[in-house]
Amino acid sequence: MKDVLIPVLLILLAPLLGGLLYGFERIVKARMQRRIGPPLLQPFYDFLKLADKRRMMVHSTHAFLGIMHFVSLWFALAVLLLGGDLVLVIFLHLLSTSLLILAGYSTRSVFSHLGANRAAISVLAYEPVLIIIAVSIFMLNGTFDTAAVFTGKEPLLYKMPLAFIALLLVLPIKLKKSPFDVAEAHQEITGGVELEFSGLFYEAVYTARWLDYIFCYTLVFLFAGSNILLGIGLVVFTFIYLNALDNSTARVSYKQMLRFSLGVAGTLAFINLLINSFS
Amino acid sequence: MYSFITGLFLLPLIVSGLLLVLPGKISKRIVILASSLLAALALYIFIYTTAPLYVKIPGYVNEAVAGADILLLVYFGWVALRKKSWLVGILTVLQLGGLLYLLKALPESHSVQFMVDKLSAFMFLLINVISGIIALFSLRYIEEEDCSAFRKKYFLSILFWFIGVMNLLVSSDNLEYFFLFFELTTLASFLLIGFRKDAVSVKNALTALWMNQVGGLAILATIFFIAYNGYGEATFSTLLAHTADKGILLPLALLAVAAISKGAQLSFSKWLLGAMVAPTPVSALLHSSTMVKIAPFIILRLSPALKDTPVAMVLIGLTGFVFIAAAIGALAQDNLKRILAHSTIALLALMIMMGAMGTPVTIVAALVLILFHGISKCMLFLNAGVLERVFHLKETSDMDRLGESGPFTSLVITLGFMSLLLPPFGAFIGKWLSIETLGALATDKKILGALVMVAVAGGGAVLSLLYFKVMGGLISRTGEQDRIRFERTGPFYSVTIYILLGLVLAGIIGLPLLLTHYFAPVAAQTLGQPVPVITEGWNMYVGSMRLPIVPLLVAFFLLPVTIITALFIRFRRVDRASEYMCGEKLNYSFSSFYFSTDRATPYFYAAGILFLITLLLVALI
Repeated sequence: MKDVLIPVLLILLAPLLGGLLYGFERIVKARMQRRIGPPLLQPFYDFLKLADKRRMMVHSTHAFLGIMHFVSLWFALAVLLLGGDLVLVIFLHLLSTSLLILAGYSTRSVFSHLGANRAAISVLAYEPVLIIIAVSIFMLNGTFDTAAVFTGKEPLLYKMPLAFIALLLVLPIKLKKSPFDVAEAHQEITGGVELEFSGLFYEAVYTARWLDYIFCYTLVFLFAGSNILLGIGLVVFTFIYLNALDNSTARVSYKQMLRFSLGVAGTLAFINLLINSFS
Repeated sequence: MYSFITGLFLLPLIVSGLLLVLPGKISKRIVILASSLLAALALYIFIYTTAPLYVKIPGYVNEAVAGADILLLVYFGWVALRKKSWLVGILTVLQLGGLLYLLKALPESHSVQFMVDKLSAFMFLLINVISGIIALFSLRYIEEEDCSAFRKKYFLSILFWFIGVMNLLVSSDNLEYFFLFFELTTLASFLLIGFRKDAVSVKNALTALWMNQVGGLAILATIFFIAYNGYGEATFSTLLAHTADKGILLPLALLAVAAISKGAQLSFSKWLLGAMVAPTPVSALLHSSTMVKIAPFIILRLSPALKDTPVAMVLIGLTGFVFIAAAIGALAQDNLKRILAHSTIALLALMIMMGAMGTPVTIVAALVLILFHGISKCMLFLNAGVLERVFHLKETSDMDRLGESGPFTSLVITLGFMSLLLPPFGAFIGKWLSIETLGALATDKKILGALVMVAVAGGGAVLSLLYFKVMGGLISRTGEQDRIRFERTGPFYSVTIYILLGLVLAGIIGLPLLLTHYFAPVAAQTLGQPVPVITEGWNMYVGSMRLPIVPLLVAFFLLPVTIITALFIRFRRVDRASEYMCGEKLNYSFSSFYFSTDRATPYFYAAGILFLITLLLVALI
């Protein structure tokens, strides 16, 4: 009972937890910049404010795809937390991202299109690395099921340190953090795909982001296996690392991002794969 | 049963002859009738084929086959002389010499010429149903072609000729017969690619001819080495009967070369890329149901013998490389048909790889890919034909207004691309099975498995980027065009596409059923060992692979249903905003970003040739 209850609770509360995490992140980021920052619940205040705005959209297809992005992302997260097949989870996540990319393309907005282009390139940058990591996990456990990872005796981290580093290197792409936030790049393309969403419809894209936080930190948590303390440690470490990185680096171009991610992170994950297959 | 199979062999050939002589009005009816009849026959044979059926044919047919072989080669020689193509000439002379030598040297002791088993029946279904749909589509397409009335009849006639030859090819057991049909498909594709008779068509048709002749030559060499190594008669059954022998490695490698040339793998990919100059139904035919599918067919036929041999290892390495190379090559393309051609090459590589691995799950994966790739690619190519004829579009960068002028076509193309890429479509399931089993290979053959894995993961990501690039242009609309009204394209166009769309969607819903009753039995007979497919609660097991049903079902509602709903849904009482331009007035071309990857092509070809040499070397040593 207990091993079902916790994931189900996590799944149901995921948007809430993600929102809190996002609020906390804004504080941490502000403190790093010697600002005080917004209150912890600021994301939720924003949420309420957005719900109250005048409803506007470009066209229904665009608005609907945004909502479905949120729904499918939640589903991908659910499969991950319930111990589903890791490759399937990665593909489901790709599916949800693809809906957002399609939404970006569906309008005739310049920035939205540029953002969608860049989001598609981001997928190219992190997807192979994630799949290689998934295969390395398969080499160790003999199955792609995350359930086996959550119950595994020895944490993955000890056997796959390089893969963990590779994950750390691609996470900024997935979460759109500097230096790899080309897909969003407010100063250049004013938010990219998200730009044409507003009010109630933006809500979906906005909260989908919170879900993405939970998704990524669950991936990090995977590396601790059943060792919950280590898991929390890894998540805290990743959290600080991501924010420090976000605060201290400047955005690179998408070509540099692609080269770095496939060249460095991809190679690291691949070396780890080779090591795993020989041990 | 014999009479049905004979019907499947002869009917297309008879129709092919009739189409040439009968007037246009009647031929339309004949095409409709023949396509439905062929589909029904193929379905019947598929359902009722249980044990492999051996067909022995009277001796004089052998003489006829030898005669036909020689005639065909003489024709090729004539083509070489007339077009002054020395490559075709040399290959023809080599083939003719080899053939005459074999006819003289080999004893005349044929026991069995044809064998129809479940794999053949599976191919029958693919060939006859999909090609029949293409024939229907061509009725309208070819009417609008700028050529004489006789050429139009001639086009349809070759189409049916092709179907007949393919049916014969997938059921021949004797390699001499196989050689004839192999060369006849080469001839058919040569005639179809050169149909438009302009300089480019002729050049590309010749390229297709000589590249496929290399395959034919490899088959002749196979026949020679089987006899030379003392296995007696050159048949597929002979090869499969000596599975563990060292002596069959060379024949296997040579047949693999034949498969690689037909399947347009590196370094033979040029002919398939050049084939797009032909009328679009030809591309649909070559890519989906005939020609290139011969490659995975050969490998599947041989998979019990190939499994775990060094030849299979090189083949897996080669196809892994081809998968990523074709994906990278596709990124630089703008023409829709060229993009589709590259993705065909990549997916064929995956099918051949799965066949070469030869475990129960991989065989199922290969079959799933063959079928669903056939349906999806056919749908995409026929739509490319509609785009050409109705909307006058060929380049993807010009298609950015299609979402407004042709919402139905753009929707179908979007779904077609998604079906190649994302869950829960059949082609995705095939890909997923591949990745999961590659993991299994990697526990066994470490470095190779790891490398191929990376190639497939990387290639898959590159392909998804490419598909997004195409889909992105297709679906964009301005806010004023919120109400969708589907365009009309004429009955032959819309009906064929509706049928294919129905097949794609039925493939999703019926997948659990298809796996147990359709793919698993075929795989079991091909391998000669049971392939258990069990449903347990919410999971399905294919061999040792687990397929969770719930996520796939949900994915079905998320993707196709979402895309279709997204087109039709209307939010009421929501105000409209026009797109934000940041206060700038600029002309932005909505055609997507480009990568120029053409520079890498020569390296890819060189690597392909290295792989081919290795393939033959490992078999010799």
